Amino acid sequence: MSQEPLKLGKRESKLRVDPKWADVCLTCGTCAGGCPVTGVDGFDPRKAVRMAALGLDDELINSRWPWVCTLCGRCERACPMGVEIVAMTRRARGLRERDKVPGPIHKGTMMNLQRGNNLGIPKDDFVQLLAEVGHEEMDECCPGFYVPIDKVGARVITTINSKEPFGEPEDMRFWWKIYYAAKESWTISSTNWEGVNWGLFSGDDESMKEQVGRVVENARRLKAEILLLPE
Amino acid sequence: MIEYIKEGRIKIDREKFAGKLVTVHDPCNYGRKSEKAFKKAYYDELRYVVDQICDTWVDTYSTRENNFCCGAGGGAWAMPYVNERLYYGRKKAEQIKATGAEIVCAPCHNCRDQIMKGLTKEYDLGIETMYIWEMLADSLIIEPWSPEEVAKAEAEAAEQWERLGVVLEDMEEEDEEE
Repeated sequence: MSQEPLKLGKRESKLRVDPKWADVCLTCGTCAGGCPVTGVDGFDPRKAVRMAALGLDDELINSRWPWVCTLCGRCERACPMGVEIVAMTRRARGLRERDKVPGPIHKGTMMNLQRGNNLGIPKDDFVQLLAEVGHEEMDECCPGFYVPIDKVGARVITTINSKEPFGEPEDMRFWWKIYYAAKESWTISSTNWEGVNWGLFSGDDESMKEQVGRVVENARRLKAEILLLPE
Repeated sequence: MIEYIKEGRIKIDREKFAGKLVTVHDPCNYGRKSEKAFKKAYYDELRYVVDQICDTWVDTYSTRENNFCCGAGGGAWAMPYVNERLYYGRKKAEQIKATGAEIVCAPCHNCRDQIMKGLTKEYDLGIETMYIWEMLADSLIIEPWSPEEVAKAEAEAAEQWERLGVVLEDMEEEDEEE
């Protein structure tokens, strides 16, 4: 079986890794030494960089490694040569076929683009929940408390992590108590309130930007001074 | 939170966590990732707030820019590689265990879930995991608003729920009573 020779070059590289990286990376292994998942599937950051420099793009893209890695950046921080390992790994994620992205992070991103949050919680349900939790659970500690929704001119606008309205709604009260005590003028948007941006993790720049744009648009529409993402 | 504390807009009861040893976790996104993307890492901010709440807290080793990831970052919490995620977190678990703390403060949703629902059981940490905003909320001395402030808020709330078409249960009851 004959194989075509691999063409190496920045243009050929899907990962946009120049073959020069093979010289820049000293293969010292400091990155691998500091990485908690070195060895999983026989991979480590140093090997991943070497694979990219040698043009083994598809092997890296189709491996589990870029997804077992949490993009924590400890490798890159330690690298004496400034190799951008995290950006490379995230690009490998982004090059995975979308229907082969592990777990719900791509589906959640698509859901977000369609319905404004990763879990597809409808606006009416969300608003009703905020009304109920804000009313029933806060009465005792905080008389007069309610959740201001779409309040134009509030000083602070906050995003919400969709897992909270979905499964842990009582946890929303922590911030609410702080706002109450501080007598903050704050608000939540009734739409596009999601604070979790899975496009960042799935390597989907376009969706990530769209989602950030919506959050910023909410802040502008409601004329808020401060955008709070309690993630 | 820092602004509220420094401006005296909130009051903290330090008795709440008195006698408890707390440790803190630096999320990658507030540290290394933020430094890379925005040229600013947030390490001191977390420690300032914890310091305002607690008498006794300790850092893990290593920490700040060399801190270990909880193991669930980058979307890993939601991914199917559960064993790998828990294996990844062993370093974090060792760090936390070594502090001897009773509470670990995790200022990130993702890290909190991994430490609370993943690592604590897997590595038998016997530790409570709390958000930084949860610790602050729990130690607040909340002064109820004045009757005028409450009345104003109730009027705003009524107007808002009507605009949004929301009917609350005990509002219904009141209507029925009338």
